Amino acid sequence: MSIYKSSVRNPITTILVFVAIILFGLYSFTKLPIDFYPEMEFPSISVMTSYDGTNAADIEENVTKLVENTLNGVPYMKEITSKSQDNLSVVSVEFEYGTNLDEATNDIRDRLDQIANYLPDGADKPSIFKFSTSMMPIIMYVITADESYRSLEKILDDDIVNPLNRIEGIGSITVVGGPKRVVYVESDPQKLDAYNVSLEQLSNAIRMENINKPVGNVRMGKEEYQLRIEGEFKDSRFIQDIVVGHFNGKSIFLKDVAQVRDTLKDLTMDEKVNGKNAIRFFVTKQSGANTVAVADEIKKEIEKVKKGLPQDVKINEIFDFSIFIKNSINGLSDSLMYALIFVTMVILFFLGRWRATMIIVLTIPISLIVSFIYLYISGSSLNIISLSSLTIAIGMVVDDAIVVLENITKHIERGSSPREAAIYATNEVWLSVIITTMVILAVFLPLTLVGGEMGMMFKEFGYIVSITVVMSTIAAITLTPTLSALLLKIRPKNKKDNWHDKIVVPWLNSLDSFYERTIRWSLRNKKKVIFSAIFICIVSFSLLGFIEKGNFPESDQGSLAAQLELQRGTRVEETVITARKLEAVIAEKIPEIRLVASSSGASDEGGFIALFNETGTNLINLNMRLTETSERQRDVWEIGEALRLEIAKFPEVINFTVTPNGGMMSGAQPNQVDVEIFGYDLNVTSRFAQLLKDSFNTIDGARDVVISRKEDKAQLQIEFNREKLAQLGLNSAAVSSAVRNRIAGQTASLLHDDGDEFEIVVRYDEAHRQSISDIENISFLTPTGEKVKLKEVAKVKELWAPPSISRKQKQRTITVSVKPEGISIGSLANDMNKKMANIQTPRGIQVNVGGAYESMMESFSDLLLLLVLSLVLVYIVMASQFESFSKPFVITLSTLFGFSGVFIALFISGNELNMISGLGAVLLIGIVVKNGIVLVDYTNLLRDRGMEVNEALAAAGKSRLRPVLMTAATTILGMLPMALSTSEGSEVWRPMGVAVIGGLAFSTIVTMVIVPVVYSLMARRGERDKEKMIREQFKFLE
Amino acid sequence: MKSVFIVFNQANTERIEYIMDLLSIRGYTWWEDVQGRGGVSGEPRRGTHTWPEMNSAVMTIVPDEKVPVILEKVKLLDEQNTEIGIRAFVWNIEQVY
Repeated sequence: MSIYKSSVRNPITTILVFVAIILFGLYSFTKLPIDFYPEMEFPSISVMTSYDGTNAADIEENVTKLVENTLNGVPYMKEITSKSQDNLSVVSVEFEYGTNLDEATNDIRDRLDQIANYLPDGADKPSIFKFSTSMMPIIMYVITADESYRSLEKILDDDIVNPLNRIEGIGSITVVGGPKRVVYVESDPQKLDAYNVSLEQLSNAIRMENINKPVGNVRMGKEEYQLRIEGEFKDSRFIQDIVVGHFNGKSIFLKDVAQVRDTLKDLTMDEKVNGKNAIRFFVTKQSGANTVAVADEIKKEIEKVKKGLPQDVKINEIFDFSIFIKNSINGLSDSLMYALIFVTMVILFFLGRWRATMIIVLTIPISLIVSFIYLYISGSSLNIISLSSLTIAIGMVVDDAIVVLENITKHIERGSSPREAAIYATNEVWLSVIITTMVILAVFLPLTLVGGEMGMMFKEFGYIVSITVVMSTIAAITLTPTLSALLLKIRPKNKKDNWHDKIVVPWLNSLDSFYERTIRWSLRNKKKVIFSAIFICIVSFSLLGFIEKGNFPESDQGSLAAQLELQRGTRVEETVITARKLEAVIAEKIPEIRLVASSSGASDEGGFIALFNETGTNLINLNMRLTETSERQRDVWEIGEALRLEIAKFPEVINFTVTPNGGMMSGAQPNQVDVEIFGYDLNVTSRFAQLLKDSFNTIDGARDVVISRKEDKAQLQIEFNREKLAQLGLNSAAVSSAVRNRIAGQTASLLHDDGDEFEIVVRYDEAHRQSISDIENISFLTPTGEKVKLKEVAKVKELWAPPSISRKQKQRTITVSVKPEGISIGSLANDMNKKMANIQTPRGIQVNVGGAYESMMESFSDLLLLLVLSLVLVYIVMASQFESFSKPFVITLSTLFGFSGVFIALFISGNELNMISGLGAVLLIGIVVKNGIVLVDYTNLLRDRGMEVNEALAAAGKSRLRPVLMTAATTILGMLPMALSTSEGSEVWRPMGVAVIGGLAFSTIVTMVIVPVVYSLMARRGERDKEKMIREQFKFLE
Repeated sequence: MKSVFIVFNQANTERIEYIMDLLSIRGYTWWEDVQGRGGVSGEPRRGTHTWPEMNSAVMTIVPDEKVPVILEKVKLLDEQNTEIGIRAFVWNIEQVY
């Protein structure tokens, strides 16, 4: 027994099965985390190796090259890039999308083990970093303080970080720029020399005194005691009283040769928020945790914590990704609701019957809820991709139910009982319903196969639409007939006409006959129709040249990032002054900026932060938070432009970039064109980059033209005289560590206080490490105990060195990046290519245009491939349905006008042709083709029933106009809310709404005329006349 | 004894069953999914894409006096909507075992 027959005969079972599905779906729904994007692992692994006290060139030669060579050729590697800067080497390996990163990490670890012995002695063990969207901070706070600033580190640890860490789902809490307590023991080298004590002796003495040690057990009578020495310093004051040596029979105390300062660590980085001393801390979530829920918990906890803090300590939120997610999700949920209402109204308009409308509309929630089950099982989340997919699917899931219900109604109106009508009417149409679903699948399933960055995004999209559409088909051939059998009634013959019969039906009837007349007219004027169609096609496709092309639509996330570069070598203190001035200007001129977090200077610790933000004593990094989108007139790009104008007024700023939506939390590739210059000679490439920069600056709409390699910075280099070293029994390593101990300082021991540990650093006092002569006068002991000055064995030289060297595919590169403002990235790249054509490339240099432009070109070619694949699959499905090559061709032709409509819509609305609108064009294929199938199929049917071609076309058109208009209208109106939405994040999906609506509206009108005409052109008279064909075979009977 | 052969659109299945019960006809032979075409105006019932509808048929052997009653009911049913289609044919039964 067929599925629809058994479901109609067992209505309770059928309904309960669907109730079960809905319950499971709702259960999944409550368990789904809410997030912005589906979780994706960016397939890149970085290896960081720090090697203190080396410059970029050394790092490149000794560490980076070694790591690069060993990592090169890791399976599935796509690209290897590296950056060598002072003290730090970062090698990043990018993999193909879909690579198993755990395996890749193991491969990398194995390979690193092999070279462990070849790395320089001073280099730390390389550490491996893996990125994923869950590593992006979800919330960021800033803590400002006045009097309590010194103890902020402790307050933060005890009162804030610890309670937060207890919240479920929190990944990590990272603190940036906190004041650190440290105990400096700063000695006067002259006194040391005078008392004949070396700096290392000081450190040793401190280390020896600062101990706690168990020294055994003592038995006394019946008792046993543990014997301990408690020698650790209780307080930094005790340090100055230890004995460090003897001179002329007298003890020398530490205070005789050095000063102990229990203070905050030297300033290398200045963190201010709205001009106040500040610490920033950001929180990441665990993978799979619900961003919104975790953020809410954090906020609740912070409110509690606030009460216990000192008066002057203030906590402010700079960034809360969950708000953006919430607003985007709410915006999409609204779109979904409106889509549901619109679709219901369309169905009611065409059918005019409440019960029938309800039966059809019921398939919507059922189909959509199933996608929640999919999301739950696949471990995904409610995000803008999954919700948009639902919005797109909403207009399509009703189509099958409409077809089934329409046929059932026809049978009921002929006088069958609803029960029988449900069974036999479904029997008549179930096959064609399944075939149209297969057409949709032919378009959406390939989406799940797309690779690359685009694939990560569209996989979920493809699966959700496929699953919902399949579910809607299942519901259409089981639940729809069942409910029809239960709910639909035979209309009494003498029933009074309602509003629908009086107004809509006559209107639809006149539309039907108008359309019939149109078909007949165009069948008589085939040439006119064909030529005007070709004309429309050419005109609309030529619009393509005028449509701006972009990569991925950006949305206004209400944040701005900026980096300012001052003259090289500027001291932090000077940089800070500029930062303060800029903050004042921002507060005055750009009121939309609510919060400014600035950090100036270099973090000496490198580490995690260094991967995101470039730091340097002459660099200012600003992270700004704007007011809510609803509260401001200007969008983030206009505000960015205003900020650029303000920064440009500062004469001391030599370079700057302003990144709308930027900041380390955005993570996405910035929307810019990168020109990569490959070449070994640093000078030649730098000069060429400068040349390009100057010429790019003349392009209208080019902003933030930046060369990746910063200018050379001043360095002091110590050059040893090895002969003399050898004579004195010294070597470079020994001397360099001696110098390091005196300048950078040596961590002698740790001071324990109240459960925390602080470093005790021994070094020269500041007065004695300020000039080249101070350095030359550094003294240290030879193995024989003689005192030697540095100048005796080495020279101190001043020279310039690049602060960082980047490499890509093991070749040195320098990147000139340009951001577009007011123009699309495609036309910016075109202009740049034109400019570059006029500049001669020096020998030995290769140039490549990359960045977002490169990924845009990659994505476009992916999209084109997808388009072709979908078309072929759709053609196959149709050809097998019609058992013909020519009929599907007629229908495929109609997709051409779908694209025409997309281009026209994009042109008129001023939207970009980008990934999303391109995707809209691809999925349009499925919807447009569906219209064509309905028309051609019915024409074939009528011809088989013996009608002449033109007659069949007119009759089929007249009879199929309503279903076509209905499916088109549900799809168009289903997407309308998305196309008109102005909520946060709507910028991303608006182009798709516009593309699909424009394409579908246009193609529906055009194909309804052009398909019959082309059909009649291609149809041979009598090709469907089977009788005649058979008669030929049986001529002998005559 | 006469045999009555009723061919009808499947959509009329329940009504035929009802008529049989109403007239207390016990014995019958039932064919589901039979194809055919009316001799005068009826559309083909072929279960194909072109002609998707199907017929069913029932044959029942009844006493002579029941035949006019059956035919009357069939006619009434047909007049409800002639598009659906139902016909009844009667012939003699020579022998019964």
